[in-house]
Amino acid sequence: MNDSYLQVIDVTKNFGDFTALQNVSLDVKKGEFVCFLGPSGCGKTTLLRAIAGLDIQSSGAIIQGDTDISDLPPSERDFGIVFQSYALFPNLSVANNVGFGLIGSGKSKSEIKTKVKGLLEQVGLPDQAKKYPSQLSGGQQQRVALARALATEPNLLLLDEPLSALDAKVRVHLRRQLKELQQTLGLTTIMVTHDQDEALNLADRIVVLSQGRIEQVGTPIEVYSQPANAFVADFVGEMNFIEAKRVDSGHIGIGDIHLAADMQAVDGAEQLIAAIRPEDIQVQNADTAPNGFSATVTDLEFCGSYLRATMRDARLGGAEFRADLSMNLARRLQVKEGGALAIAMPPEHLRVYPAK
Amino acid sequence: MTVTAQHDLNITRRRVQPKAAKDEFWQRGLILVVIAYLFVGLVLPIAMVFTKSLQNFSFQTDQVTVAFQTETGFDTPRTLQSWFEETGKEINNGLRPTERTRLAIVKVIPKPARAGIEAFQITDLSEKGGQFLIDGVLSEGGTTYEVERKKLSKVQVKPQVDYGLGNYGYYFSSPALFHSIQNSFLIAIAVVVIVVPLAFGYAYGLMRTNMIGKGFFRLAATVPVLVPSLLPAIGLIYLFGNQGILTPLLFGQSIYGPIGIILASVFFTFPHAMIIMIVALSSSDQRLYEASEVLGASKWRTFWVVTLPGARYGLISAGFVVFTLVLTDFGVPKVIGGDFNMLALDIYKQVIGQQNFQVGAVVSVVLLVPAVVAFAVDRIISRRQVAIMSAKAVPYQPEDDPFLDRAMLIYCGSVALFILGVIAMCQFAALAQFWPYNLTPSLTHYDFSKVGGGGWSAYWNSVKLAFLVSTFGACAVFIAANLVEKARGFELGRNFLQFLAMMPMAIPGMVLGLAYIFFFNDPSNPLNFLYGTMAILVINTSIHLWTVSHLTASTALKQMDKEFEAVAMSLKQPFWRMLSRVSAPVCLPAISEIWLYYFVNAMTTVSAVVFLYSPSTQLASVAVLNMDDAGDIAAAAAMGMMIFYTNVIVRVGYSLLTGRLLGQLQAWRHR
Repeated sequence: MNDSYLQVIDVTKNFGDFTALQNVSLDVKKGEFVCFLGPSGCGKTTLLRAIAGLDIQSSGAIIQGDTDISDLPPSERDFGIVFQSYALFPNLSVANNVGFGLIGSGKSKSEIKTKVKGLLEQVGLPDQAKKYPSQLSGGQQQRVALARALATEPNLLLLDEPLSALDAKVRVHLRRQLKELQQTLGLTTIMVTHDQDEALNLADRIVVLSQGRIEQVGTPIEVYSQPANAFVADFVGEMNFIEAKRVDSGHIGIGDIHLAADMQAVDGAEQLIAAIRPEDIQVQNADTAPNGFSATVTDLEFCGSYLRATMRDARLGGAEFRADLSMNLARRLQVKEGGALAIAMPPEHLRVYPAK
Repeated sequence: MTVTAQHDLNITRRRVQPKAAKDEFWQRGLILVVIAYLFVGLVLPIAMVFTKSLQNFSFQTDQVTVAFQTETGFDTPRTLQSWFEETGKEINNGLRPTERTRLAIVKVIPKPARAGIEAFQITDLSEKGGQFLIDGVLSEGGTTYEVERKKLSKVQVKPQVDYGLGNYGYYFSSPALFHSIQNSFLIAIAVVVIVVPLAFGYAYGLMRTNMIGKGFFRLAATVPVLVPSLLPAIGLIYLFGNQGILTPLLFGQSIYGPIGIILASVFFTFPHAMIIMIVALSSSDQRLYEASEVLGASKWRTFWVVTLPGARYGLISAGFVVFTLVLTDFGVPKVIGGDFNMLALDIYKQVIGQQNFQVGAVVSVVLLVPAVVAFAVDRIISRRQVAIMSAKAVPYQPEDDPFLDRAMLIYCGSVALFILGVIAMCQFAALAQFWPYNLTPSLTHYDFSKVGGGGWSAYWNSVKLAFLVSTFGACAVFIAANLVEKARGFELGRNFLQFLAMMPMAIPGMVLGLAYIFFFNDPSNPLNFLYGTMAILVINTSIHLWTVSHLTASTALKQMDKEFEAVAMSLKQPFWRMLSRVSAPVCLPAISEIWLYYFVNAMTTVSAVVFLYSPSTQLASVAVLNMDDAGDIAAAAAMGMMIFYTNVIVRVGYSLLTGRLLGQLQAWRHR
């Protein structure tokens, strides 16, 4: 199992009759930043809490380093944790919060003080040691929580939606800081999030979960550009879903239009769903490109830096799809509502899934 | 070692049995200790009440024989039964024997029949023995004792126990006792019908109008919790009694009886109902009133469709709380009830007056039933009350309404006048030289040396008890609640502890006190040494008041971030460090509130401790009772006022401390 640091093997978690996790297996490499991504109730937090030992799995094993930690209490596992609520102790100063895990560790008071000072510098809060949590902003509180989790020098950092309670700008700023810190420390990190941007931005690998099962594990680019199934395709990023039929082993039909596509994933199913991201629809030199055809623009939506065009065509049957055009391109091609536009659905971006 | 997913697949199908952390053994140990404490101090004694209520005693006169000495030795032994048959006397004069009834042999065998007999042979025919006592020593089974003439008077026959429903039969067929049930229910219902609307109106004035003096009225309404329930009864006697200053207002009706009981009960239950009503009215949503106004509803209609339904759970809950309080209180009917009997008073009379513990136990069981039912209903309702509160609710801001504000001022003023008037009357009576003939103020009645009840040492005992109970109780309750709310795993133990913590509220004080006599006064109980000590009073009072304290602590603990414990575990910190460094400091306001609750109630409680005090541990609240019983009513008023002063001082001190000291310790609360 070479370089894997954390192994989740066949983990199932039941709460009464409800199955929160079903036969989940996963490997996390040393120093890797992994995001658990999924809608609420998908089991991502349950999996994190199982790894922490806070809600131990019903069956299955979890191995950290060389140790089987499956049945160990949290206090005997090696991890630091940060919660969405920060969970800072309100009656302790920032310094005492950060130093809380160092009490009883055999360190002298001055050693603890130095360590705490260093940690606060690391998270960019060198002057806030004497304040109480309620005197800090949300972003500052979250950084204190991070410093506290790092104080005991854990080999695994668990983050439970740590940025969700913050406003957008702080979130992006803190995201960058978190990534830098994680890379500097080379710390194996698992973060739970329902925010796909956060996952795509931060993770080395993303684990997409739904209804207690793993849907896909992959790098952000893999998950985004090669979603393993319709759920992942829908959940991560924007996606056009178009009903289609199988034509032959290399082509699908949407209405009367036949398109070349990679059919490996569909296993000979007849009823299909074609998926393509709005930004992957080609409009430049489309008339000569493969899978090119002409469609009518029925609606134009202004979205700041780009335009979103809704398109239809009689030959497509009732199908409708959206394409994102940069403002620059839209001007050049003089795109307008009701006008015709030549487009192409490049075979390498067109994904096909069996219809449910 | 390397572990592969393949080779472990079989293992992973098995259920994972979580291991306990090192400090979890301490947590579990502590949970078991608290469970044991509540078990010994609550469950076992209450179980004894049930057992005792099933004990019946009877004299087995056919098991004891007496033979007379003749010149040729002893004649043929005769059973006591045959003597009864011969004399035609009834055993124990036809009365039901109790555990402590004794039958003197000299009363059974008529004097002429044993004239000139120098010695007797008395035989215990039973197998297990114990049929009679000679000089206090129990007889052995199948043994014959020879007794001289002089010593025959020291031979006493002892009744034997068997188990059955006889006591219940006796109780329900005795009209006087059965009448008490009816009386208790009627009085309790009457008080509920008076107090609940009264408190609702008062709370409405405080919460929903802009009348002046709200702070004062709020304080005035809570005065009754600072005194024992005996004190309003004494105050009412001074106001409306035989020599009362307002007696003509009763138009010839006597205050000694239902009227007095109802009035005094209204006084002491009022704050309990009012606090519940304040909570119910404070949880209303401004937006509902705005919606009602926008829809064009009149104020009167808004009151009926928004205000009252919003407070309905509070109204019902207050009703049940008041009902239970009146039903289980014995101080009021004792002082002002005259010959009007009530259930709780019957326990006292049976136990203290007649030493009939078994019938006392039967009345206790009868009293337990409505108390437990009322408690269960109240718990279910208060759970709903929480459910209707939404996090988004906007607090209600009353509008100015000069007419309503003035009307409420008059209303609340009248209620406050009644409450303060009764207290002022007690104060006046305590200071008057010789009521009603010499009203010169003096401190004569505060010199308790000339009256019974224990005097000043009783007062200091009470203060000591209050300090011990509040300090020990607040710590124990908080640690126990912390274990219930925050411990990892061991759900069985935690749920059981939660259940035990809720029980005391359903147990009337009289019943708990009696239960303690049964349990701790039993010589075969290894804890018997506690009987008659201050320790047993502390244990009893701490458990008697456990539930409310537990709920206060639980609520405070539930408001803390659920992830604190998870963080502490990830930081490898044991639970006690979390408890001492974070949970206890954060919950300090709740802990000090529990402390105050314990202190004030330990000063005023009578019902549970009245059975448990000893000459060296007499208490002020019991002294009030005993002084009143002995007719030293002015001294009783003075002692009651001492309790009042003490509680006022502690309360004021508490407010100052929470304002200043807590302010410093709790700097983190301020931004």
